[in-house]
Amino acid sequence: MNALLQVDGLTRRFGGLIAVNNVSFEVATGEIFGLIGPNGAGKTTLFNLITGLTPPGSGHLRYKGADITAAKPHQIAARGIARTFQNIRLFSGLSALDNIRIARHVHTHTGTLAGVLRTPAARREERAVRERALELLRLVHLEQRADEAVGGFSYGDQRRLEIVRALALAPELLLLDEPGAGMNTNEKAALSDFIRHIREQFNLTIVLIEHHVPLVMGLCDRIAVLNFGELIALGSPAQVQNDPAVIEAYLGE
Amino acid sequence: MNLALFFQQVVNGLAIGSVYAIFALGYTLIFSILGIINFAHSAIFTLGAYFTYALMGARFGFNGLLAQTALPFGLPFPLAVLGGGLLAGGMGVLVERIAFRPLRNRGADPLLMLVSSLGVAVALVNIIQYLVGAEAYSYPNALAGLPPSINLGVGGVPLIMRTVLVVIFIISMLILFALMRLMNHTKAGKALQAVAEDPVTASLLGINTDRLILLTFFISGFLGGIAGTLVGLSVTITGPYFGITFGLRGLAVLVLGGLGSIPGAVVGGLAIGIVEALVPPDLSGYKDAVAFAILLIVLFFRPQGLLGRTFIQKV
Amino acid sequence: MDSFFNQYGFLIVSMTFSALLALSLYLPLMAGQLSLASPAFYAIGGYIAAVLSTQIFPVESGAPFPLERLLLEMLIAAAVSGVLALLVGLPALRLRGVYLALATIALVEIVRVLSLNLEITGKAIGIFGIPQPFATKLDYLWISGVLLLVSAFFVYRLEHSRMGRAFAALREDELAAGAMGINPTTTKLLAFVLGAMLAGVVGAVSAHFLNTWNARQGTFDASILILAYVIIGGSRTFLGPIIGGLLLTALPEVLRALAGVPGLPPLAVSFLQDGRLIIYGVLIVLSTLFFPQGLITPALLRRWNRKGRA
Repeated sequence: MNALLQVDGLTRRFGGLIAVNNVSFEVATGEIFGLIGPNGAGKTTLFNLITGLTPPGSGHLRYKGADITAAKPHQIAARGIARTFQNIRLFSGLSALDNIRIARHVHTHTGTLAGVLRTPAARREERAVRERALELLRLVHLEQRADEAVGGFSYGDQRRLEIVRALALAPELLLLDEPGAGMNTNEKAALSDFIRHIREQFNLTIVLIEHHVPLVMGLCDRIAVLNFGELIALGSPAQVQNDPAVIEAYLGE
Repeated sequence: MNLALFFQQVVNGLAIGSVYAIFALGYTLIFSILGIINFAHSAIFTLGAYFTYALMGARFGFNGLLAQTALPFGLPFPLAVLGGGLLAGGMGVLVERIAFRPLRNRGADPLLMLVSSLGVAVALVNIIQYLVGAEAYSYPNALAGLPPSINLGVGGVPLIMRTVLVVIFIISMLILFALMRLMNHTKAGKALQAVAEDPVTASLLGINTDRLILLTFFISGFLGGIAGTLVGLSVTITGPYFGITFGLRGLAVLVLGGLGSIPGAVVGGLAIGIVEALVPPDLSGYKDAVAFAILLIVLFFRPQGLLGRTFIQKV
Repeated sequence: MDSFFNQYGFLIVSMTFSALLALSLYLPLMAGQLSLASPAFYAIGGYIAAVLSTQIFPVESGAPFPLERLLLEMLIAAAVSGVLALLVGLPALRLRGVYLALATIALVEIVRVLSLNLEITGKAIGIFGIPQPFATKLDYLWISGVLLLVSAFFVYRLEHSRMGRAFAALREDELAAGAMGINPTTTKLLAFVLGAMLAGVVGAVSAHFLNTWNARQGTFDASILILAYVIIGGSRTFLGPIIGGLLLTALPEVLRALAGVPGLPPLAVSFLQDGRLIIYGVLIVLSTLFFPQGLITPALLRRWNRKGRA
């Protein structure tokens, strides 16, 4: 397989608790990869490890062949890995437009002085950033509310906005942490379509944490199942659905 | 320096350190419950000293609104100290009601509460100045009947201590002991520790956080007020601002011991007291900077201090 | 009109200095950093100017101090403050929230104690007889006023630029900002260094303005005053600190003028004259309760803008 992301023996402890225990898998370029498991299985911790928010106790991470195990979050973002958060972390006091424009930071270069003086190059870049941001807002029908503070947006709009903010990073790998949380069945179906759409449009590889098993089964090419920090199953949705270990893990749900 | 002098300085340091400890305990109790630093603590420290002065029936000086006034009665020093502490505790509760509670109920950023407490501190200290002026005051006849110094030496080796420092140390130790008993042997004290440890679970267990917060501010104010009186006893009340400078050094104790750690406040206080006492006389001008240098070193290399908790951020 | 400016020249220039110092606290605050360090850099900037103009390159007494030398001192003060801020900021800015505030308080105190004890800063007495480049106090407005306009312009433009957005992101949510590609350390450091440099430059000019310089110029009290300017004036837009600094510095004079109104009870008179700091303290508390973003908020500015265009 053409592996974009390689997770190799990743382990993370918090005090006496093992949150992620020797987890290894690979994510192929272009696939939608699901990560499921009961609450507390270590899925978000795994995301935090991949995006540099927490350092692993042991193990390695490779992205496009390069070792990113010790990379910091902003370096990870610069390499082309973007994420959303389980508890939506938009910049709620800022406008929708600003939220997106901020994510263009790594791909722009205007320095402090150039920005203050508004040099021709700076103004060109500003226009380009604004264009791009408005495009992305159009994708989720929020262009009309570009200058509104996002704190006042509906839950669904905020979730979608967080996804396009991540897209502004022009990533190759997109990590979505429970993007469908709090949505009803219709909204989840629309979200599924949206995720498929952006994979096509932006040539993305997507890893998705999701609690709602049907959403995952219909959307993902492959699924990894975590329980108590360990990888207990990995395969196609059909394989995983019928795996006895998985069924047992979810019986407690 | 010779050994006898060294010991003398260490013991001096312990005495001052014990006051730092009490003062820092006031900071740390509030931090452990609310996660904020109450800058008004140094103003309450100052108030405690002035309350005690007034309760002794002493007369105020020539400046300020209350110039030349005195209470119609005068309590003996030990009672006045207690009274000053209790009044200071009351002030602590008042500060909580006016400045902190509304912000807390709003879920405001802790830094906003810190700023508000700074405002309270500035207002209180300057109200004191407005009322009684900026003169120095000392407690009249506080230690009447006691000799100016005591020899604590053993086996023929002299260890001369200013009586004042011995008295301060004893009072501090009594207060600490009382606090330990309160924390470990009363329902309220144990509840306080529970809330400090884990506020969410504590409230789930039905512990009345609001009332506990009031109690914490009262105790904190009491400790601050006592500390103020003790420092006033040791070096005289130099003016309404004497609490601010002391208060800043108290922050160093808080950080060294670890924000939120009760034993840390004690250890940190004694440690800084001793280190300051050991500063050689030719460098005495730099004594004030010692605490802050320690504060910076701790913050740069071990922000959780000696006994504090490391905070894990939830994503 | 002339005599008004003569009488109030000192006050007007002082107001601009306060606004500038407020901006120096505002800069790190834009990136979410509560730094109370400005008085330390202010003091250092002042000492640099004082020492340079009285000991290293003194002028003959009575002669006006050359303007170019003042500008050079300001440049040096900015550079030294910047370097120091870099050195101190690297370890300090790893701290969050209250820890950073504490570290900056400690810095101010250490600088103060050092200046009280070192020969070169004149110990407790300080440095006297700092030469004047201008004939009257009001003339200092040529420097302080221009400096204020330039700084205000700089911060205004910064707020609407790429780096300004990076600052805002850090202030809103440092974790998410990092995940979106913003390097928290370098960005915070930039904000901190800019604030420090501004404070240093203001110190250099103030040393000449006040004619003497000593350890009382850079104290914790000054930190609180500057914080008051920003908290009360407005902590979310560049105009807030400026208005806060201007108004709160003028306030005591206004109060004193009010105290002169005939027929007031003596209690009110003495309060108006001496109770300035009590009022500041109360205003800070009231601000946090009722105006958490200060008086001048971005929302307010947007409303003024719309009215202007309508």
